[in-house]
Amino acid sequence: MTGAPLRLAVAAMGTRFELALAAGRGDLLAAGEAALEEIERLHGRFSRFAPDSLLSHINRTAWRSPVRLDRETFELFTDALDVRVRSEGAFDITVAPAMAGAGFADSAVRAGDGRLDAGGVRLDAAAWTIACAGPHVALDLGGIAKGHALDCAARTLRAAGVTSALLHGGTSTSVAIGAPDGAAGWGIAIGDAPGAPVVMLRDAALSVSDAGSQRTATDDGHIMDPRTGAAVRRSGRASVTGPSARLADAWSTALAVLGRLPDGFPQGFSARLLPGPESTPHSSAGAA
Amino acid sequence: MTTPSSNRRTFIRQTAGALAGLSLVPDAWEALPALQGPAVKAGLVGLGRQGRAIIAELQKIEQVEIAAVCDVAAPRLKSAAGLVRGAAAFDNHRALLDTRADVTAIVVATPTHLHRQIVEDCLAAGRHVYCEAPIAASVEDCEAIATAAAGAGTVAQAGFQGRSNPTYRRAQPLVETELRQLVSMYAQYHRKTSWRFPGATPDAERAANWRLDPEVSIGLAGELGAQQFDVAHWFRGGRYPVRAQGRGGIRLHRDGRTVADSIDLDLIWEDGVALRYQGTLASSYAGQHELFVGGQGTIRLAWSHGWLFKEADAPTQGWEVYATRQQAFGAEGIVLVADATRLAAQGALQSGIGLPHPSLYYALVDFVRSVTEGAPVRCSMQEGARATIVGILANRAIVTGEPVTVPAFG
Repeated sequence: MTGAPLRLAVAAMGTRFELALAAGRGDLLAAGEAALEEIERLHGRFSRFAPDSLLSHINRTAWRSPVRLDRETFELFTDALDVRVRSEGAFDITVAPAMAGAGFADSAVRAGDGRLDAGGVRLDAAAWTIACAGPHVALDLGGIAKGHALDCAARTLRAAGVTSALLHGGTSTSVAIGAPDGAAGWGIAIGDAPGAPVVMLRDAALSVSDAGSQRTATDDGHIMDPRTGAAVRRSGRASVTGPSARLADAWSTALAVLGRLPDGFPQGFSARLLPGPESTPHSSAGAA
Repeated sequence: MTTPSSNRRTFIRQTAGALAGLSLVPDAWEALPALQGPAVKAGLVGLGRQGRAIIAELQKIEQVEIAAVCDVAAPRLKSAAGLVRGAAAFDNHRALLDTRADVTAIVVATPTHLHRQIVEDCLAAGRHVYCEAPIAASVEDCEAIATAAAGAGTVAQAGFQGRSNPTYRRAQPLVETELRQLVSMYAQYHRKTSWRFPGATPDAERAANWRLDPEVSIGLAGELGAQQFDVAHWFRGGRYPVRAQGRGGIRLHRDGRTVADSIDLDLIWEDGVALRYQGTLASSYAGQHELFVGGQGTIRLAWSHGWLFKEADAPTQGWEVYATRQQAFGAEGIVLVADATRLAAQGALQSGIGLPHPSLYYALVDFVRSVTEGAPVRCSMQEGARATIVGILANRAIVTGEPVTVPAFG
C-alpha cells in the first residue's frame, strides 16, 4: 500500500481510539473494522458505567459465587493484581467504590464505604474464575482496559495480515505494528510541548500517564492514589514502553502515582519519569 | 429526578417533544427469577462473532456447562480453547452428536444458510436446539426447520431475542392498555460498518463474507431487520404483515458489492397499519430502536432501554404515579423501574439505566429454563420461521424493487 494510511476511529471507554493502517495483505478496511469491533466488544465487557457489562456482572455477583471467565479475561485480571503487588499498591483495580464516592455518580458501582480491598479478589487459575470477598469489593479497570483493548485490536490486525499500523486510545496509550515504509518506527512525542521527547515505536506499546490528569472529580483534578484514596499531590508524567499495552497502561498509571521506579518493575519494559515544576528530579530506566 | 449525563456515549437523543416518558426497565439489577432446574451440558456449533457472544452469555448461567464446541474452521476451533475451559472440540456437528450423548442442548450459530441441516440433525438426534435468528435463508428451509421442530419432542427455540427481553415483555401489554389505537410503527438499524470481514486466506475471507454474497445472503432486511419485525408481529398479537415493499441501494460502500448497504422498507398489515423500516451500514445515528405510535402514547424500545411517552390528554392508569421521572428525548418522563424507591435511596437510579444483561442472555436463559424446567418456549421454531420468512420476502422486495405479498401463515 502506498499513500496515506487508512484511518479508522471509534469512541469507546470514554475516549477515542484511532487506527492508522499503513500496509498489509488482504482487506485492510475489513481488518481495521474487525479491530474496532474488538475494541467495542471490550468496551462492552469492561465498562463500569454499563449495567450489562461483564465487569458490572462481576461487581454484582462475584461476592456470592465465582464468575467464569475466558482465558484472556482471566489473564487480564491476573496481570492487574500482579501490577498491584509489584507497584506496592500504586495500581489497584478495587478502586471503584472509592471513585464512586469521589463523584463518579454515573458508575454502575454503588458508592460503598470507600474501602479498597485488592486482597479481596480471588482468582482460580484451575477454573478461570474470579470471586470477591464481599459486596464491598468492586472493580474498576480504568487503568488497564484501554491498553488491553489495544493489545487485542493489534492481535486482530496481525491475524488479518496487517504489517504496519499505529493504534492509540485517547493518545495516552499506543501500539505500533511494524513501522512506516522506510522508517525505523512510528515516532510518538510524549507531550505536546515544543521539544517534547520522541519515542520511536516498532512492534511495541507506549503508555503515558500524567499525575495531573483529570482522573477524579476532586477539586484539584489529580489522579487518585489507591494507597490513600487521596489525590496525588505532585505533577509529573510517567511513560512506559514494552511489549504489552495493557501492562504499559497499568504501569504508567502506577508510576505516575509512585513518582519513582519500584523494585518490582518488570523486565522487558522501560520507563521514563518526567518532572512537573515542583517534583523530584526525573529518572529514566530500562530493563533488559 | 435524574438527567442524562452529557458526557456519556448514549443513544438518548434530544428531540423536540412535550410528552412524559416512562422508562420501561422492569428491574435494574435482576430482571428474572432464578433458574431452578438441574445442570445441563450444552454444545455450540459455530464459533464466529455470534458464537463467541453466546459463549460469554452462557458462561454467566451457572446451570450450563459448555461441554462441546464445533466449527469447520480450524483457527476458530483453536481459539475456542481459550474461551471455554475444558470443552471438547469438534470440526463437524455429526461427530459431536455421535460421541457426546451427554450434550443435550445445542446452540446453532453458523452462517444463516447453513442452519437447516445442523438443526435437523440435532433434532433428529433428540437434542434440544436453540437456533440463531434468522433461522434460515430460504422459505423452504424455514418451513423444513419448523416441521422438524414440530415433530421432535424436544425444546426448539428460535433466537428472536425481543420475546425474552424483560423490557420488551414489560412493553408488550402496554400496546393495548396504553397506546390504544396503534397508528404506526417504525424501526431502524443504523450502524456504520462495511459488513466486510477479514480472513487468513482468500477462501476464508470468502466464507467470512457470506452476508455480501447475493446467492446466500438475505440482506439487511433478513439478517438484521427480522429481529425487529418479530417484535412487531408479537406486539400485534401474532398478526403478520400482508405486503412488503421498499427500495435499497449502495450509498456508501462502493466496493463492487451488490447487496444493498441501505434500505427503506414498509411492511403493511391488513388493517393498513405499517411498519416503516430503515436499515443502513452507512450511518450509526440513533442506532437500533423501534417505535410504536398510538393515539394515547408512544413506546420507544432500544433493547436495553425502553420508555412509554404518554400523550398529554391520555388518561392516567394509576401505576405511573409511583414511577420516577427521567429526562428523555427532550421531555420529562417517568422512570419505571421495579424497586425504584430503594434504588434511588442507594443512589443507584442512574440516568439511562438499562438492563443488567444483554438481550442475548435473556433468550438463552429462557432456552435453559425450557430445557431444565419445562417452561414454555419463548419463541418457537414456527414463530421463528414466520418471522424469518417475512424478512426473506422483505429482502426480495428490496432486491426486485417490486411489492411482495406475504402469504397467510396457516
